[in-house]
Amino acid sequence: MTRAIRHITMLTLKDLRIEARGRQTIGLVVVLAVLIVVVLALGLGSGGGSGGLTATAILWVAYLFGGVLIFEKTMAVERHDDALAGLLLAPIDRGSIYAAKLLANLVLMFALALVVTPVGIMFFQFDLSVAPGGFALVMAVSMIGYAAVGTLFAALTSSTRLAGGLLAMLVFPITLPVVLISTRVLANLFEHGTSLAGSGLALLIAFDLMFLAASWLVFDVVLEA
Amino acid sequence: MKSARVRIVGPVYGIVTFCLLAAVTGMMVWWTPREETMGDVQKVFYIHLPAAINTFVACFVVFICSVMYLLQRRSWWDDLGFAAAKVAVLLASIVLLTGMIWGRSAWGAWWQWTPRLTFSLILWLLYVVYLMIRPSIESSQRRALICAVYGVIAFMDVPLVWLSTKLLPDIHPKTISMAPEMRLTLLAWFVPMTMLAAGLIVTSMRINRLQRAASEPAEELDEPRLVPAGGQA
Repeated sequence: MTRAIRHITMLTLKDLRIEARGRQTIGLVVVLAVLIVVVLALGLGSGGGSGGLTATAILWVAYLFGGVLIFEKTMAVERHDDALAGLLLAPIDRGSIYAAKLLANLVLMFALALVVTPVGIMFFQFDLSVAPGGFALVMAVSMIGYAAVGTLFAALTSSTRLAGGLLAMLVFPITLPVVLISTRVLANLFEHGTSLAGSGLALLIAFDLMFLAASWLVFDVVLEA
Repeated sequence: MKSARVRIVGPVYGIVTFCLLAAVTGMMVWWTPREETMGDVQKVFYIHLPAAINTFVACFVVFICSVMYLLQRRSWWDDLGFAAAKVAVLLASIVLLTGMIWGRSAWGAWWQWTPRLTFSLILWLLYVVYLMIRPSIESSQRRALICAVYGVIAFMDVPLVWLSTKLLPDIHPKTISMAPEMRLTLLAWFVPMTMLAAGLIVTSMRINRLQRAASEPAEELDEPRLVPAGGQA
């Protein structure tokens, strides 16, 4: 157990160190996500809608596209120069590799959210002060589910010709329930003051647990190819 | 001998299915009474429900084939899963279209974000993606693997999609009262619809096998368990 945690920490830090040195992913992803929010804000216009539902829906569009780029880039690092072959030869459990990739992806996604969320809040006059903790909790739980599925499919599609496009095609429909639940829960929380207990939060947690377990089990098979 | 049997059974099965479809269509049009509030539009329900149930069955077949492919790595399971996914999309399209026709008459709009319509749409999208990704992956082994993993994850997603759509406001009728003729017609529709779905899966599966046999050498029809890491698709 301690050994697995050590492996996961080591691999996660390795990915984050590569990102910190190269800064190839986060800069690109943040700019893309901000662009998406700006384009949608301009497209909707001044009277195009404001409030919880619009802001969270648009933030989700930015997170989804940003997330796909993050998943693709962190996996591409392993495919370059056959680094993955070295990783597979090392005495490390495949589940630990998955957990490490997932953690690295989550750190990058949270970093993306830290920059993009204030932009969305500002453009759509979204009053976050009503329930900042609830917003952070729902978004964090949703992102874990999204990253769980995204990390698995990134490993599957990274060696295909259309890696990014294919990954988006695979991940978006699977994560539609996450988007639907989190936007409804946040709309209820911010517009009607409904408490999080008994809302769709339990469903989001169920999604996370189910796909974390499934991805952990299937990842071994995925890396074989 | 086997192909001779297939040559006889196939057309007979097709003719029986077609005759049953014609019979239940006749029952639907002329025998069932006209519903008071919805009028003739209500009759799409006889197609809608059997198509919906068979969509789930086809999705379940995709799931089973995906699991079996991951366990055995036999191309046969991939071909059957692909065939079932095509039928699932076809049936889900029928469910969506008949649902929209019903909704237009009941609510005055082709589309409402009700839980059941939204669920049908997401289900349709999940399996359309299964079909759409296939041509973009060149390596048949990688294609089969990606589709198998996707088939498992997509099926696991179905109950969550259903529960998530429950958060949307519902204006869909919960129960429908039916006259005995209506109930019998609805039950009768299940037979040809299920036969049609099964027949289409088998036919499509045979076409997939023939296409694979034509495009790949015989020894590749049942792949080995392992391929080199980093293999290009």
